Amino acid sequence: MEAAPVPAIAADKLTKHYGGGHRPHRPGHGTGTIRALNEVSLAVEPGEIFGFLGPNGAGKTTMIRTLLGLQHATSGGATVLGLDIVDHSLEIRRRVGYLPGGISFYGSLSGHASLEYYSDLQQREPVRREELAQRLQLSEADLKRRVRDYSRGMRQKLGVIQALQHDPELSILDEPTEGLDPLMQQAFYEILEDLREAGRTVFMSSHYLSEVERVCNRVAIIRAGHLMALQHVDELLARRKRRVTLRWRGTAPDLSDVPGLADVVVSRDRITATLSGDVAPFVRAVASPSLEDLLIEPARLEEVFFEYYAGEDAESPGSDA
Amino acid sequence: MNLRILRQTLYWQRSRLIAVGIAAVIWGALVPFFYSTFQDLFEGLIQAGFPENFLNFGSGSLFTLGGTMTLAVQHPLAIGLLGIFAVGAAAGAVAGEREEGTLEIILARPVSRRRFYGSVGFAILAAIGIVLALLFTGQVISIYALNLVEEVRLELLPLAWINGMLLWGAFLAFSLAASVSFDRRGPAMGLALAYVGINYFLEILGTFLPDLEWTQEYSLFHHFVPGEIVTGNADPFDFALLTVAVLLPLLWALIVFPRRDLGAPA
Repeated sequence: MEAAPVPAIAADKLTKHYGGGHRPHRPGHGTGTIRALNEVSLAVEPGEIFGFLGPNGAGKTTMIRTLLGLQHATSGGATVLGLDIVDHSLEIRRRVGYLPGGISFYGSLSGHASLEYYSDLQQREPVRREELAQRLQLSEADLKRRVRDYSRGMRQKLGVIQALQHDPELSILDEPTEGLDPLMQQAFYEILEDLREAGRTVFMSSHYLSEVERVCNRVAIIRAGHLMALQHVDELLARRKRRVTLRWRGTAPDLSDVPGLADVVVSRDRITATLSGDVAPFVRAVASPSLEDLLIEPARLEEVFFEYYAGEDAESPGSDA
Repeated sequence: MNLRILRQTLYWQRSRLIAVGIAAVIWGALVPFFYSTFQDLFEGLIQAGFPENFLNFGSGSLFTLGGTMTLAVQHPLAIGLLGIFAVGAAAGAVAGEREEGTLEIILARPVSRRRFYGSVGFAILAAIGIVLALLFTGQVISIYALNLVEEVRLELLPLAWINGMLLWGAFLAFSLAASVSFDRRGPAMGLALAYVGINYFLEILGTFLPDLEWTQEYSLFHHFVPGEIVTGNADPFDFALLTVAVLLPLLWALIVFPRRDLGAPA
């Protein structure tokens, strides 16, 4: 029997509490007042693009920084590429590419010198640098300029290149399209598609729901440090209601027997409703020469997201207070 | 040690190192010149009733070549030149990178925090070593030019250099310990400056208030006395004490830095 592939990331009840202040943290000791992560368990399969969703302060960045050893878990554990995040942090970092949110560079270095520096520290050849620079439209002349003269978008492009230039097995990207214009976002999505085709794994956090919906296989939704949902994007959306609008000529059709149809509002020649489940019975019911127009809007991740975040004010995110 | 980080750190300090190095040679050369040129004037002042302690400075003195060599390294100018690296560069080495958000890209690569600390620390120590060597080089040039070689044993100068490296290594280690303990340059710099300032205050207090001369024993500056070394009076205790002063903050940094949580920069 073939062995199950090792998850690219596997978190087991990963917990991170902050004690506040600037005291050095003792790994495995004590609990604090800020609960940034609460027993988060998830597995990211090799070759998938995994979206990690949540608003600011939900625990996305804490999760990423804990996986990379920049922060220490209070309890629980995780493996990255099959390696324990505490015992094999250096080996993990050798094989991973990381784009931090709101990335900063040394302003006095040129773009090219920055990439050289990070590539040397990575101890791996920057095999994809040229191709990535080309696709993100960062020219040779741009790379010769000092980073302090770069725009926000150019810095983000440089950030993407430094994270992916060594063709990592796993890319951990924190808000990767922040600051990119729509054209460059498109170029970035194409790069992600290529990574998926090449069998590389991407773990990306975002608060752009349309982006996650578009590029990710699976998505985890985190709220106040708790994992609220972990599903395939398609499954998540399939469970959601579609919004349907139809225009009718003459007498309104009887839709009372259509399964899954709800919230029906009839006004003159227009009917609006929500539809869950299979669309076929609905289409059969409305198929008639009297039908003038039919619009079935797909379910959006936004709706799922907002559902999980409904009543957020009732609970202060990530805090004991 | 990561040679790439060490090289890059030195590269970033290159302009500063050139400017400070030139100033160190000039300052080193000037002090024996003052001693040689104005010795009679100073002695005349004392005979005229001018308080002798005002012509001394810390553990230095203008009445002997050795004392002058000590004065050269304890003068605020020399402290400033060496402090640029031991305090300015060191306090910002980690805390500054944290503040600017550049540290995390380095530490997300296969570079351990201790290795980063060691590489940056060694690079700054190398800069201090160069400046100190240039300061002594200036003195040697001047001593030969003024034909004062008979007054000191210049073959002992490397020992004085080691003594100086221990003193400034102690300040560097303290500044780096402060740097790894804070996420912002300001508190780290403030603490490091306070440490050097208090030590300096204790050293020069006795110069102006002879009754408080005992405070010098509690200053690290008091244990870097090249004048005594080049006259064959090196005290092993000075070396031992400064070694301890290097090791304590070094241990703090090596223990605390890897255990700290490096949260996302604000």
